[in-house]
Amino acid sequence: METLEVGAESRPWNDLARRVWREYSILVVFATIIAVCGIVAPRFLGFGNISAVLLNASIVGIIALGMTFVVIGGGIDLSSGPVLATAAAALVQLQRMTHPDGSAVVPLPVAILACVAVAVAFGFVNGMLITKALLPPFIVTLAVGIIARSLVMYFCRGATIMGNDFPQFLGNETLFRLPIPFVILVVLAVAFHVLLTRSKFGSYVFAVGGNENAARYSGIKVDRIRVVTYMLVGLCTAIAAIIEVSRMQAVAAATQGYLYEFEAITAVVVGGTSLSGGRGRIIGTVVGCIILGIVSNMMIMLNISPYLAGAVKGAVILFAVLLQRRER
Amino acid sequence: MNEPATIDERALAPARAPTLRMQGIRKSFFGVEVLHGVDFSVDRGEVMGLCGENGAGKSTLMKILAGIHEQDAGTVEVKGTRVPAGANPREMQALGVSMIHQELNLLDELTVAQNIFLCREPRGRSGLIDFRRMNEAAAAQLEKLGEKIDPRRKVRELKIAQKQMVEIAKATSFDVGLLILDEPTAVLTGKETRILFDLIASLSARGISMVYISHRLKEIGDVCHRVTVLRDGHLVATRKVSEVTPHEIATLMVGREVKDTRAADFSGDPAAVVLEARGVSDGLLKDVSFQVRKGEILGFAGLVGAGRTEVMEILFGIRKPRTGTVLVDGAQVTVRNAMDAIRAGLGFVTEDRKDTGLVLCRDISENANYVRWQKTGGFFKGKRRTANASRRMIERLRIRCQGANQLVSSLSGGNQQKVALAKWLMAGAKVLILDEPTRGVDVGARQEIYDIIRELAAEGVGVVVVSSDLPEVLSVCQRVLVMHEGRITGELAASEMTEAKIMYCATDVRAGGEHGDA
Repeated sequence: METLEVGAESRPWNDLARRVWREYSILVVFATIIAVCGIVAPRFLGFGNISAVLLNASIVGIIALGMTFVVIGGGIDLSSGPVLATAAAALVQLQRMTHPDGSAVVPLPVAILACVAVAVAFGFVNGMLITKALLPPFIVTLAVGIIARSLVMYFCRGATIMGNDFPQFLGNETLFRLPIPFVILVVLAVAFHVLLTRSKFGSYVFAVGGNENAARYSGIKVDRIRVVTYMLVGLCTAIAAIIEVSRMQAVAAATQGYLYEFEAITAVVVGGTSLSGGRGRIIGTVVGCIILGIVSNMMIMLNISPYLAGAVKGAVILFAVLLQRRER
Repeated sequence: MNEPATIDERALAPARAPTLRMQGIRKSFFGVEVLHGVDFSVDRGEVMGLCGENGAGKSTLMKILAGIHEQDAGTVEVKGTRVPAGANPREMQALGVSMIHQELNLLDELTVAQNIFLCREPRGRSGLIDFRRMNEAAAAQLEKLGEKIDPRRKVRELKIAQKQMVEIAKATSFDVGLLILDEPTAVLTGKETRILFDLIASLSARGISMVYISHRLKEIGDVCHRVTVLRDGHLVATRKVSEVTPHEIATLMVGREVKDTRAADFSGDPAAVVLEARGVSDGLLKDVSFQVRKGEILGFAGLVGAGRTEVMEILFGIRKPRTGTVLVDGAQVTVRNAMDAIRAGLGFVTEDRKDTGLVLCRDISENANYVRWQKTGGFFKGKRRTANASRRMIERLRIRCQGANQLVSSLSGGNQQKVALAKWLMAGAKVLILDEPTRGVDVGARQEIYDIIRELAAEGVGVVVVSSDLPEVLSVCQRVLVMHEGRITGELAASEMTEAKIMYCATDVRAGGEHGDA
């Protein structure tokens, strides 16, 4: 360690190169992937295709933004997929109730607020169980996810419930020729980036994930920070749920949000956030989920069996993590 | 304490090849040379002290010896045979070189015997591990060290000194010729240290050579035959300890004269009490009461386990007292957590900065500002104010770094400690508690930290220094309270302090109990 310091001092260029690589390696990898894809399948770079990739990456991407906070804070949330389904079901159930004259029983803004409340409440429960009952995040969120999936199955009787003419623009239209879900992802990403890097809260999340004891001895309310990160991923999940309902006009109790939590965690990890906490970046997460979207898209482009998608994604994860390990 | 084997004994066999001879060792990391051709040799049965500031190259040299690093140039000979370059730790162990790291490398969930015979467990005819034979062999190894630990106990259940014994048993269970001990007493109590020193003497008498790395220069004089001092990757001197004082060693390490100062008595207003504890008791502590005045440097001396850290943790809301009250500026305060203590004006530089002091994977600026941010309102950090405050603190504390954005993990021990201090200075603490403020800090930075402590006191901060290092207490504290087994057993002003008086209060000599130290 002491020698590293000396080395860095006397070789500013070397140091700079290493820092640029450490900070922006994900972007280099990203550009390479796009270039390779463009060469292998020129259709890939078509505007329509790129736009489809971005649209498909957006919903998981939004969850991944919140997940980044949880993971940096030293936690993990395995309940996001089922929570998305539950929040979406709450939204649709409330939205489709109509009076005999056809007017809504529950105004749309109230239904949306209820959807947010459901997802944030799940986050709160996760956070409280983890910090107050001192249970490991992995188990708590796994169990809460199972409960959430079961609840949504019960309330929907295992079926798919249809919305009543839910506004479609959120999920299906474009703004400045970009799909609106992607625009929402970008806006949220900017906000979360500022939150993570400029706010005190962001610094405390890093501190809690980096060294919980030191954070506690510095007076940081460790438990509260933790709970808030889980509520934040709940909020993101609710936003993703609203977009998904707008796109699909329906909620499938059994499959809505299936494996989203794993895709979100994958995006976070591919984006360079350390699963052991204390390290990570929002921009990495955004790039991470686009990379995953590109992988799925290329599978179709190159006519590879969809059954192999998992194999390719797994390889991408390993490659990304390997790359980050080498830098250290 | 037993006298180690004397130097004369070994002088009788000068013709024998030394156990270890390293010649012209060079090593570079990332193009920067950190060892510039070091010669180092240890005779059979000799205890060689190795001193140097952090970054002087001690650990690099020892890691080359232990097979962790490979030298760029130079030769290593063990017992007269040349070690091939690039030998790994296992091969070095087979040659009889074992290293006992400061942070012990035992597997907590395995038994003592399993640790001693890790990867070379005796096997029965079936190919399965023969536990009975292994436990017997482990007991025999421990017996040789005069230690009675049940080899079937899990290492997790052992006290730290016992763990160290297990490490030594593991090392000596190989046919060890050279044992490297890296700051072995850093975690030991006085009594445990004496046991270790006796053990070192007996190993030495058995012909085992040792390299003894320590920042505690007095120990070097107690336990070593010779001492080698490194500075900036050069060998500065190798001397017989009988011909050099700890003070001279320190001077060799730093390359300049080190001042040995004595603190003066507190000269401020004795009525201006800033912090007071009244009748604090819990399972360990018994009716601890004391006062700290504005601008006073109050020491807490005593052996490890006497309850000093516990008192500080109660003041800081980390630990709950059974009874007792705490007053800040004469008003009683309720402290349920660290934030309450911080609000009352307390600061706490903890004993273990890696565990409770710093977030190593974050930069200097963040670490220094955590407490200040909580005291000031607002949602955002305030980029410019934070940067300016950090820069001023870096200048004031002379933190050697490339900038406020350097990660704390890449700083040396002394500079890390300054960052831990900066956190509380930024928050403007009225009372600053420092628990072992110079542990793992090299001699140069140590003086700077003492200067900072004195400056703070001069500015009116009440400073509490918990320290097991008596010379440190003597040179910094204006008054000292000595604890023994949860009680305050003595109070001495600077003018009446001597190491002997402090030790007298800190041990059972005065308390009259029969237990030495906890």
